Amino acid sequence: MESGKQNEYAAFEEKVRRTVYLDNLSPNVTESIVRTALDQYGTVKSVEFIPNYLEPRNMPQCALVEMEKGKQAKVVISTLSEFPFMMSGMPRPVRARAAVAEMFGDRPRKPGRQIRICWLDTADPDFEVASKLKQLVKRHATETAVMLKVNSKSCIKIHSFQGV
Amino acid sequence: MVEVDGIENLEFKWGKKRGTGGTNTKVQFYESFTYDGLDYTLYDNVYLHKEGEPLPYLGKLIKIWETASRLKKVKVLWFFQPSEISNYLFVELAHPNEVFLASGEGVGLANINPLEAIAGKCNVVCISKDDRNPQPSDEDIQMADYVFYRTFDVGQRIILDKIDGKIAGIDVKFIFNQSGSLKPCSIHNFSVDEPASENAIETNGRVVMSKLNSSENQIPEDDRQVEQKPVVAENGFNHKAEENSDVKASSVKPNLSLQQEVVPGVVSESGELAKTNDRSGDRTGLSLKIKANADSKLKNPSGEEIGCVNQVKSEEKLKSVKDTVELDERPHKKAKLDNSVKVYSDKETTKCATEPCGTAKIPSKKLKIDDKFKKSTNCKSPAVPSNDGIKTGDKAMEVTRRPDSDRSKWFGELPWEESLQDAHEFGKLVLFQNLDPAYSSAEVEDIVWNAFSETCRAKMVQQTAYSSPHFGINLSQDKLLLYSSQGKLQRMLLKNWMRDACCYQIGASIVKLCCDLLELMLVRVCCIKPLVASIPNPCFSRKQSMFAGHLIVDKLKSQREMKEAVSTSHSSQPNTVEYDMAMEWFLMTERSNQFWKKLYEQQGKELKKLRVNFKSK
Repeated sequence: MESGKQNEYAAFEEKVRRTVYLDNLSPNVTESIVRTALDQYGTVKSVEFIPNYLEPRNMPQCALVEMEKGKQAKVVISTLSEFPFMMSGMPRPVRARAAVAEMFGDRPRKPGRQIRICWLDTADPDFEVASKLKQLVKRHATETAVMLKVNSKSCIKIHSFQGV
Repeated sequence: MVEVDGIENLEFKWGKKRGTGGTNTKVQFYESFTYDGLDYTLYDNVYLHKEGEPLPYLGKLIKIWETASRLKKVKVLWFFQPSEISNYLFVELAHPNEVFLASGEGVGLANINPLEAIAGKCNVVCISKDDRNPQPSDEDIQMADYVFYRTFDVGQRIILDKIDGKIAGIDVKFIFNQSGSLKPCSIHNFSVDEPASENAIETNGRVVMSKLNSSENQIPEDDRQVEQKPVVAENGFNHKAEENSDVKASSVKPNLSLQQEVVPGVVSESGELAKTNDRSGDRTGLSLKIKANADSKLKNPSGEEIGCVNQVKSEEKLKSVKDTVELDERPHKKAKLDNSVKVYSDKETTKCATEPCGTAKIPSKKLKIDDKFKKSTNCKSPAVPSNDGIKTGDKAMEVTRRPDSDRSKWFGELPWEESLQDAHEFGKLVLFQNLDPAYSSAEVEDIVWNAFSETCRAKMVQQTAYSSPHFGINLSQDKLLLYSSQGKLQRMLLKNWMRDACCYQIGASIVKLCCDLLELMLVRVCCIKPLVASIPNPCFSRKQSMFAGHLIVDKLKSQREMKEAVSTSHSSQPNTVEYDMAMEWFLMTERSNQFWKKLYEQQGKELKKLRVNFKSK
């Protein structure tokens, strides 16, 4: 069972290496569009959109595209970074990056990882520290949210500037 | 469906015959049989045990026969526990012990099983207000193991309130309470001699009464008698169950006129027993004992048997009773029943993981189960007096896998999106933040299982370019039902760690309490991150019309050109306007990348600073 798990994880990691993370996709973009778009760079094995549950509504879509070979993925990324690539509309270019394991929704467990949890009592000295940490985390989350808002605002600005 | 292996020879006897099979005359149908000391009749409700599963299934015998090759089979119509169908419906229970009868057509309605899979009788009372149903009294309901009045249609996967004429080919009159059989575990071997046993009185009561009556005659001779009665009468006797020899510890009241009081006492305790919503083989253990008692009359030296009939104070006692029972009387106990019994009342067992049948599916490398964890594995137990569902302090719990036998997956899982929406509607959605982003969804489910003893479906929110590298977030939905989790809440509340103790709404309260609980008591995960929980407000996908960055072509024009124009994906060339505009976008994204980077760096620093202060690492 152990080796099985590890194999599974190794296979998953390999898949991650072959996958491209696409960003700034228009909401009209569908799987087939992505597929045909990236076909010129190699064989596209699968396309998966990342669902957006928590962020504000008007965020551009993101997708994970699994290519057949890691090299192809690299080519995609480099080309798209150099030249603006547009899908289903212009001029906002699509951004491509190397995918990271955390982007995959159904990733397998990492073998050998041990998680330990415990409940902290109010009397515990660590409780204070932990509650501060929690507050900090919450603050960070709001900071992130604010940044996203600012981001989208500037997008809209450029858009209105460019549109005539 | 249910496997049978390692069966010892348990006593079996066919009862009333019914007829032979049409096609194969060697097949003999029966109406009743005796198995392992219990009498079963057609249409009885039984427990069936499956090897490897911690909890038994509930079913109704709708056909009993012996094949030509001498194999004994039963066809069982299933009852569903609310947790098994909560995937499909928000189940609002009318009663804490409510179950659902299967109806309709399809997989999951009924199955044929070997007779040996039967693990005991179960008292299921039908509380439907249908005219055709003999109405049970309040006491009947209280003493029932389970009640039902609704069915779950396995084909349409909905709950039906009305019961039609036939279910699985069986006339409904066999589905409803059988008139005259509103007593549970009717054990035919008894010669019940008192008419004074009102219908409402439990079989247990009758047993005891008959004992007492006969004991009346034997008082002078057997000094054990004296013990037996007070054992029955006293509520305090039960801690002595374990001691085989000594029952005298409870104060002796030789007064026979106590008989009158005894009976209600017995009844109430049995009522308690029935109320413990524990799906263990409790009933089995007891009914076995009743039978044994009946047979052995009063001469049975181990006086604790009667004591054990009435032992309902707490599970622990029950368990110890069963232990003694198993040890003394039934050396040839079915392997299955043994295991199942052990799993349910796990208070005494120190190492659940070492169960031979592997009911707690804990991978071998994580076998370190300490006492604290024991509690969390048994999520079905009612409020336990020694409340340690949540342990704080120094020892960190190992997060182990939760048992995989999740029966709610019988009918296939709903797609995540749908169930997410449902959960959100019913307030069962919890958002956990500040998890290590490397965790997988399954690990989060395990964490929730370990921390709260609740099952859930979890999904790590996939990271995008904007997500913080420091923490991952995860949405999990709890399959919480009103009643089953109230018990848990009781326990939590007992500890006085909750500020708002009293908001009990449907499901939402559980989630809220979860969040509050986490406010007061923090959960640490391996790299020392306190877990933050909240109720999220997810927005579900909808096609947005506007996308900043794409120029919207004038509608009129597009309609004309639509037929010829094909929107291709392309890289634009440097000599176009489009290229320039794209460059602006590039610039913008670069800028935003920069500030995201800075932001996360900053946040990382702040986190690190605080984390240093953790005393214990």
